[in-house]
Amino acid sequence: MATARALLVASLVLSCFLFPCYGTVLFSSLQRTLEVTASPTSQQVLKAGVDKITVTWGVNQTLPAGTDSSYKTIKVKLCYARISQVDRPWRKTVDLLKKDRTCQHKVAARPYNPANRTSQSLDWTVARDVPTATYFIRAYAYDADDKEVAFGQTTDANKTTNLFQVQAISGRHATIDICSICFSVFSVVSLFGFFYNEKRKAH
Amino acid sequence: MAGVEGSPGSSMHGVTGREQSFAFSVTSPAVPTDTTAKFDLPVDSEHKAKVFKVFSLANPHMRTFHLSWISFFTCFVSTFAAAPLVPIIRDNLNLTKSDIGNAGVASVSGSIFSRLVMGAVCDLLGPRYGCAFLIMLAAPTVFCMSFVNSAGGYLAVRFMIGFSLATFVSCQYWMSTMFNSKIIGLVNGTAAGWGNMGGGATQLIMPLVYQLIKRSGSTSFSAWRIAFFVPGWLHVIAGILVLTLGQDLPDGNLGALKKKGDAAKDKFSKILWYAVTNYRTWIFVLLYGYSMGVELSTDNVIAEYFYDRFDLNLHTAGLIAACFGMANLVARPFGGYSSDFAARYFGMRGRLWVLWTLQTLGGVFCIWLGRANSLPIAITAMILFSIGAQAACGATFGIIPFISRRSLGIISGLTGAGGNFGSGLTQLIFFSSSSLSTAEGLSWMGVMICSCTLPVAFVYFPQWGGMFCPASKDVVKSTEESYYASEWDEEEKQKGMHQNSLKFAENSRSERGKRIASAPTPPKTTPSHV
Repeated sequence: MATARALLVASLVLSCFLFPCYGTVLFSSLQRTLEVTASPTSQQVLKAGVDKITVTWGVNQTLPAGTDSSYKTIKVKLCYARISQVDRPWRKTVDLLKKDRTCQHKVAARPYNPANRTSQSLDWTVARDVPTATYFIRAYAYDADDKEVAFGQTTDANKTTNLFQVQAISGRHATIDICSICFSVFSVVSLFGFFYNEKRKAH
Repeated sequence: MAGVEGSPGSSMHGVTGREQSFAFSVTSPAVPTDTTAKFDLPVDSEHKAKVFKVFSLANPHMRTFHLSWISFFTCFVSTFAAAPLVPIIRDNLNLTKSDIGNAGVASVSGSIFSRLVMGAVCDLLGPRYGCAFLIMLAAPTVFCMSFVNSAGGYLAVRFMIGFSLATFVSCQYWMSTMFNSKIIGLVNGTAAGWGNMGGGATQLIMPLVYQLIKRSGSTSFSAWRIAFFVPGWLHVIAGILVLTLGQDLPDGNLGALKKKGDAAKDKFSKILWYAVTNYRTWIFVLLYGYSMGVELSTDNVIAEYFYDRFDLNLHTAGLIAACFGMANLVARPFGGYSSDFAARYFGMRGRLWVLWTLQTLGGVFCIWLGRANSLPIAITAMILFSIGAQAACGATFGIIPFISRRSLGIISGLTGAGGNFGSGLTQLIFFSSSSLSTAEGLSWMGVMICSCTLPVAFVYFPQWGGMFCPASKDVVKSTEESYYASEWDEEEKQKGMHQNSLKFAENSRSERGKRIASAPTPPKTTPSHV
């Protein structure tokens, strides 16, 4: 009886270790093994929907072989610089990666082969839903369990150098503006029309 | 009880909220039916309906009810239309947390003034044109959202759209021309509750419309602008319906209403004086700021809160946020009903305790909502909070008609303004700065609700008592007549201007609860001519 219970407890405890623990990776635990460069120069302003960014990424060649043996996918993201996070808690940097909101825009996701260590590159047109802000580029390396294991970024550790800006689209169109004006005029005219019509009928 | 329009004590300056009872209908001996009138519903001598048939569209009474609450609902939809779309708007316009918070404050501040003006507008043009003018002139402000390019523009447009919340006044005013005062309580409470639901419906409608527009090929920054055409069109449609299907009076005569309105025999300055010098007015202004006010604040922040804190997508966050506002369907009438129920046994003391309990519970659940770390608990806490706050709104208007007979209109108006002011204040303190996260803001708001509800313990009616003190033992002061007659000076009493107040006093004896039988009738206050 006692042994059966002990076995049950043991198996329950052990089974917890079997499931990979998602959502507990801290950014501070990641190693900066990737080299990431992007085409925008420091302080350059790019137009959303129009301008392109060329991103190049690869593992730092000076690191010993086997560092990247667990990397399966590389995801490249557009991340907010500190100045664009001020007074905007929805872009906050948090060490727990699951809760971190620094990098909200996906640039690319590519599979990675440790045997082929050459850098990869990509041309990306800045998406039209990217807001006006200051950015840098960061790449995360994921293992087979889709957990972050390493990163690389275009700026320094303090996120102060080599930042670029994006000018978002306004979202306004001449058609929307014209329709807006027409409907507003219709509303006001029909109101006063009705009013004067009834006044006229009353007399 | 209603008296003739314009007679002393029946002032409609500001807002009317004659919500004394929650009866569905008035029986014939109590109020005589006019059998010569040909209406679908039984009517009294002024042709006001004596019965409230919710699912009927009978002209003119029930039709007026539906036009009224729908126009109020539409204004709530447009005032809070931006709230569920803030995650998109904040990126498009590069807003900071303080920009968003300030715009939220602006959205509820405009109507503080427009409500006060609306009473006068309804006196001048009648409730039908008052309502139609407001909604149709507010439609361009809603369409203006599509032009907004900056934080300043966003704030200005939300401020202007917020003016349309004054339809509350036209709604209640219009109801009181159509329904007998014995059932006006339920009618007004239902219309107000269903109108408030618009704040919930919009959290559902706007993200859905936004997704549809995005799916048909638009970018996100254009889609939200186009989505605003929906509330804009709702304004225009509601306005046209009000103009074509509505009428001011049961007999359809705007001119007659104008004539009676001009004959207001009571002085505005006197009415204002008695409203302002009654300390109970100010306690209820504060209280309503923490029942209705927190409801409006929550309408503005809750969708964004769920989106950010629990990583939901826009329409899921909107769906949850909608549950908050939609609870008004039953929660507000429930509050009024509980107030009436308690009054049957404990009179006014019961009403005060019910109000304190409901509002404090709402505050406690609000604290819980801010502290909830998992989604199911947060949703549960939110729903309980909504029921507490909205029922407290209903319970508040169960007491307000008894504070004063002469100045009821102004007191209702001040209370309503207090609601909006409380909303602006809480948004400013708790949701506009980055030093406080939204979760912490919600919890602190809950603490503030509980503390600002405590003053209800100071409300004391000499004839009925307060939360902790029984009614006065003084033979003169403990009568309803002496309380309501004290609003008139000797000169006015000589002219007999206080007759309606005395009639009201007699009818308000039900607020003694089970002690009605013990109510003495002191000889000095018996009216000399009835």
